Amino acid sequence: MSTYFKANYYDGLTSRPQEAEVALREPGSLEVQLPNDRFFWPLEHGGMEWERSGSMLRITFGDHPRKVLIVRDPLFIKSFVMRMQLAGRRGVYDRTLSLARRGPLLFFLALVAIIVVGYVWVLPFTAERMALLLPLEVDRKLGEASYGSIMLGLPEDTARSAVLQEFADKLDLSEKFDLRFHLVESEQVNAFAMPGGDIVVFSGIVEGMERPEQLAALLAHEATHVDERHSTRMMVRQMASYLFLSLLIGDVNAVVALVAENADNLRNLSYSRGLETDADQHGMERLQAAGVDPAGMVQLLELLEQEAADMPEEMAFLSSHPLTKHRIEKARELAQRMGAPTATDPELERLFQALKVREAKEAPIETVAE
Amino acid sequence: MELLTPRSRLTFTGKGGDLFSVLIVNWLLTFITLGIYYPWAKARRLQYFYEHSELDGHPFHFHGTGRELFVGFIKAVVLFGAIYGIFFYLMQLQEVWSIVSAYLLLFGSVIAITPLVIHGTYRYRMARSSWRGIHFGYRGDLKELYRISIRDGLLTLITFGIYGAWFQMNLRRYVLGHVRFGNSHFQYKGDGLDFFLMNLKGYLLSLFTLGIYSFWWQRDIYNYYVNNLSWHFSDGRRMEFRSTATGGGFFELMVVNFLLVVFTLGIGLAWAHVRTMNFVLANVQMVGDADLDSVVQTELEHGGALADELGDIMDIGIFL
Repeated sequence: MSTYFKANYYDGLTSRPQEAEVALREPGSLEVQLPNDRFFWPLEHGGMEWERSGSMLRITFGDHPRKVLIVRDPLFIKSFVMRMQLAGRRGVYDRTLSLARRGPLLFFLALVAIIVVGYVWVLPFTAERMALLLPLEVDRKLGEASYGSIMLGLPEDTARSAVLQEFADKLDLSEKFDLRFHLVESEQVNAFAMPGGDIVVFSGIVEGMERPEQLAALLAHEATHVDERHSTRMMVRQMASYLFLSLLIGDVNAVVALVAENADNLRNLSYSRGLETDADQHGMERLQAAGVDPAGMVQLLELLEQEAADMPEEMAFLSSHPLTKHRIEKARELAQRMGAPTATDPELERLFQALKVREAKEAPIETVAE
Repeated sequence: MELLTPRSRLTFTGKGGDLFSVLIVNWLLTFITLGIYYPWAKARRLQYFYEHSELDGHPFHFHGTGRELFVGFIKAVVLFGAIYGIFFYLMQLQEVWSIVSAYLLLFGSVIAITPLVIHGTYRYRMARSSWRGIHFGYRGDLKELYRISIRDGLLTLITFGIYGAWFQMNLRRYVLGHVRFGNSHFQYKGDGLDFFLMNLKGYLLSLFTLGIYSFWWQRDIYNYYVNNLSWHFSDGRRMEFRSTATGGGFFELMVVNFLLVVFTLGIGLAWAHVRTMNFVLANVQMVGDADLDSVVQTELEHGGALADELGDIMDIGIFL
């Protein structure tokens, strides 16, 4: 004789609850005892459904309106669930939920750990792989789309651009893209590369240079940005982490969203600093391949350091260009390893000098002499 | 008579830790399936809330399944996708006529869909809810709902929103008045003018007290919803609902919930939900001579979850 457990029974016809007693019977049925009735429900029957929610078991039987039994006795629930799980399989949901219920906090922390690992290592890795799968055409289109609007307010010196182009062509800086060089008349000490091959150099930076190796280093640095597809990789990474984060915190409050967004920005910043060092190093390899002294990169960075002397030190932490001193050191180490300096190519020297001479009207020699 | 003393008979038995487990698994599965799991997650969440809401110690039950909600979810995504697709297509033409018609389309479809959504949400949600094995049901007429919405919508527009109070009450009276539970039914008797004056007072006092009164305003609205609701049985007897919620209670509930969610970066959400449910259910008392055992099953099972999901997207809550 097996034990009976208390249950509530609803017959599906009226809202009147009935006190019932239930017991599991072999082979495979549930005995239900009512005050003036008794019946058996076969356990493995299509019309039999059960659900466990917290400390309550709900068993229903038959067609609509279904008969309902609610049992709260933990002992019965345990044996019933075990009996039913012998027959059927447990879904992914039930398995995950029972795992979560065993230690909610531990489960949560494990999840957070997995997410952090995913966000810090797996996501960038996958995003980079995906970015490199994109056809080169994407870079060209991206560059075209923004080139026009960026150059809108910038006065290009086409004559000197041609000289710059000739200078760069001698170095053969990119395997993947046709690089187009543009010289812009501006005091700013700056240069930038657009995806797909347009590289813009401000006259301000050229004027401060003393040797053609410095210019070659600058062009090699920018060409690396293009050739290594830094913009596209950055964009795919940012999109991926944006998607990841918005999926992750879709439901949660604005504070979390704000924290996550700022953390993401900081991370992107540190990534773009990584790209600058990357461009320095690969740029030097390009210089070496082109027969130019890689130490030109060191000289270029030293020049930039002088120019940036008025930038407050604290700002450097958030700058996308890493502390120049640090970059100089790295470049110097690499230059030493790369070996003895080569002599300057006279053709490069000639083009470099031609580039430094401002066209017509102004008196170039005097300006330099100042 | 003992029966006529108001008594709290609704309770919430959910626990923060349990709900947390449910929500975290939902969140995990939704995340790794890129959102596709959402309807199943929603069904699990609703089931938890229903299962742990009890009347006289007997739990409610939500019969909806993730699969039903998923079908509705897909339909909702397609419908809204189409509307937004046309909207953005018209917008990018950048012609005056196309921009005007884009906005007309957007607002037009929201107005046209809303009554359908309310109707469908109630039909589905009520048909899928039960207590003691007896199903709820919604017997409202879609045409009538459209008639009310269009008439009151226009009046609200003409009166610069003032008629909105009457609109809300008319809608509530109609919808709740057509909710069935077996062979019993509900009735709501809120009145536009009362509701308007109450909101006007709440608005002005909140303004003068720099928002402090808003908790008491919230209480007034809640009380107005609860106190005007009644439950009528086939033998002519009935149950009235009475709210015992106080402004101080709302103040405590909302402030603590806010802190609970913000300072745990969202982890406390489950506990905040539990606190809210406890508050909402514990503050409803019932008074009357009706016999809750006497309800007879009448409703058939209805299907179709499209409207429920549309309601979810449009953020239309269910008010019973």
